[in-house]
Amino acid sequence: MKRLEFDPYNLLGVPHTAPIDDIKAAYRRAARRLHPDANRSPGAGIQFQDITAAVDLLSDPDKRAAYDELIKEQPQGMSFTFRVIPSKRTIGLLPEPQVFYLLADLIPDPRTSEATNKRESRLNLTLILDHSNSMGGSRLDRVKIATHQIIDQMTPEDILSVVSFNDFAEVVIPATTVTDKAALKARISMMMASGSTEIYQGLTLGLQQNRQFLAPRLVNHVILLTDGRTYGDEGRCLDLAREAAKDGISISAMGLGQEWNDKFLDELAALTGGSSAYVQSSSAVVSFLNDHVRSLANVFAERVTLSIAPDPDVHVESVFKLAPNPQQLPIDVGNISLGSLQINRIISVLIQLEVPKLEKEGFRSIGRLVAAGDIFANRLQRQQAITEIALEVMADPPVEEPPTSILDALGKLTLYRMQERANEALENGNVREATRLFENLATRLFELGESDLAQQARSEAEQVAYTKSLSDKGRKAIKYQTRHLLLASGPGDTNA
Amino acid sequence: MIICPFCAFNNKEGVFFCEECARPLGGGEASATLPTRRLNNGSDSATVHATWGTARFDANAQIVMHIRDSAEAITLKPDNTTLVGRYDSSSTQRPDVDLTPYGALENGVSRVHAAIYRNDETDTLTLVDMGSANGTHLNGQRLMPDQPRVLRDGDEIRLGKLVTHIYFKT
Repeated sequence: MKRLEFDPYNLLGVPHTAPIDDIKAAYRRAARRLHPDANRSPGAGIQFQDITAAVDLLSDPDKRAAYDELIKEQPQGMSFTFRVIPSKRTIGLLPEPQVFYLLADLIPDPRTSEATNKRESRLNLTLILDHSNSMGGSRLDRVKIATHQIIDQMTPEDILSVVSFNDFAEVVIPATTVTDKAALKARISMMMASGSTEIYQGLTLGLQQNRQFLAPRLVNHVILLTDGRTYGDEGRCLDLAREAAKDGISISAMGLGQEWNDKFLDELAALTGGSSAYVQSSSAVVSFLNDHVRSLANVFAERVTLSIAPDPDVHVESVFKLAPNPQQLPIDVGNISLGSLQINRIISVLIQLEVPKLEKEGFRSIGRLVAAGDIFANRLQRQQAITEIALEVMADPPVEEPPTSILDALGKLTLYRMQERANEALENGNVREATRLFENLATRLFELGESDLAQQARSEAEQVAYTKSLSDKGRKAIKYQTRHLLLASGPGDTNA
Repeated sequence: MIICPFCAFNNKEGVFFCEECARPLGGGEASATLPTRRLNNGSDSATVHATWGTARFDANAQIVMHIRDSAEAITLKPDNTTLVGRYDSSSTQRPDVDLTPYGALENGVSRVHAAIYRNDETDTLTLVDMGSANGTHLNGQRLMPDQPRVLRDGDEIRLGKLVTHIYFKT
């Protein structure tokens, strides 16, 4: 059976029986908002290509008939729900720009369970392990133990490759099915610590190994584990990540200890929809990696993307993934990679938009969101869900209580942002501002009952004031723990 | 534009949490977390005063500072920065408001204790602790050093153990 890449009727918002004139009219309506001449946002560019492909297909009678035939054979399979909640339903007619928020949730079909999906989602996993000098001793030992356990977890259907790197990279286990587990483990045990850290080398070779078995029916995932800073090759690494995202490979990055570059690893992971994490002690590595690999096996849909096409005068200010792994997402790409949608978990994204000064009352459209993903249970048929966002503009809008889910998330996101701004201020040498922000953060954390974290922010503030720099450890702890707060109350499990 | 009631930061319209101090701006949670203030009106000290005095401070308004246990009040027209503290022989600068005659030394007021800033753009005053030894309290809440808080008509400021009340006179 042929895979259906997209649903042209859905994209244009017309019924299957619509006459060609209606279809063309629907296309023109949408194109007026999405055409690159009118709308310069990268999301609109992607969506414009989609609707153009849709109208091309439907205006050719032969192709349309063939497509109609094809969907008749297509079984009605599983699907995800795309739910978008705005922070307000009515906005005020204001002579100044205003901010508002959208909470976009992707919810997997509740009928899928791990048992039925298991056969469908197989793993193509690549581990890229740092074995530079600093990894010596207990760190490398733990990584070896963790890798052994991952091998035990995998089935003969899964594919594993392992690459180790310091100044140069080598293949420890070439991409292979996990059949002879003892032999694979023996190779891992022979790894020795030496040399320095150069991530680009490892990433290149790791992605090359992963691509050997790259297939849409697999969960193609790369885990990069490092404890050091890479110098001069970060830009090239990010280029590799962009390429990987296009091929449907997601990269997760794990930093061990204090020295690694968190900003770089966060960005690397966010580009591909993977996650990034901070493992403070080497003893946590084993359980952490195991949990991560286990979550990879329970995938409902792969290669999930979100494209945001705001109306030409609306501006996307930030996109932040709240669940399952909180992270800042890039806004300068058309299709934002969200990674995989797991069974019984939801993907939740908070979008901050700015509406310009408004001139008249009445309903107005704000933008168009498209979420898409390959659903394993449907033999990877791609599902696209489209939501049009419209709001009512009123001179005197009624007082609305914003949805608690948005308020909850924003309260914590503001803290995370504050921490980011404090770090930025410090990087720019603005010590006074950084101190003030860290103290504000501490005050607010105390008020929220997060006294341990508040204490930490307070002592960092003092350290900044005296030494004009932060401890690497403290900075990372504050960053990842404020980010973790989002998870604690955020919309995590659907079954929680 | 939404002015944060806690730190006077100008937030964009539609924002729910102040970008400067992360406190909620209006809505449900805000009213719940506002510190309630008790008024010193004699016997009925349990009366909770839930409304605030105005935060608006016009360009030509004046501050009247009543110091507890002192008959006379200090009236001043604040500059952009008004330093409050205690002047003595080892001071390097004279504070704009010198509290020495009001028992500043005995009450633990620092030489440079706090500052009042005037914001012309938003017509507000903010109070900042300048890293004093015994702390600055605004309506019973201790301020973190260098964090501005909005001043309102009728607010109680405690510098060390010295209690004063601030009124706006237009």
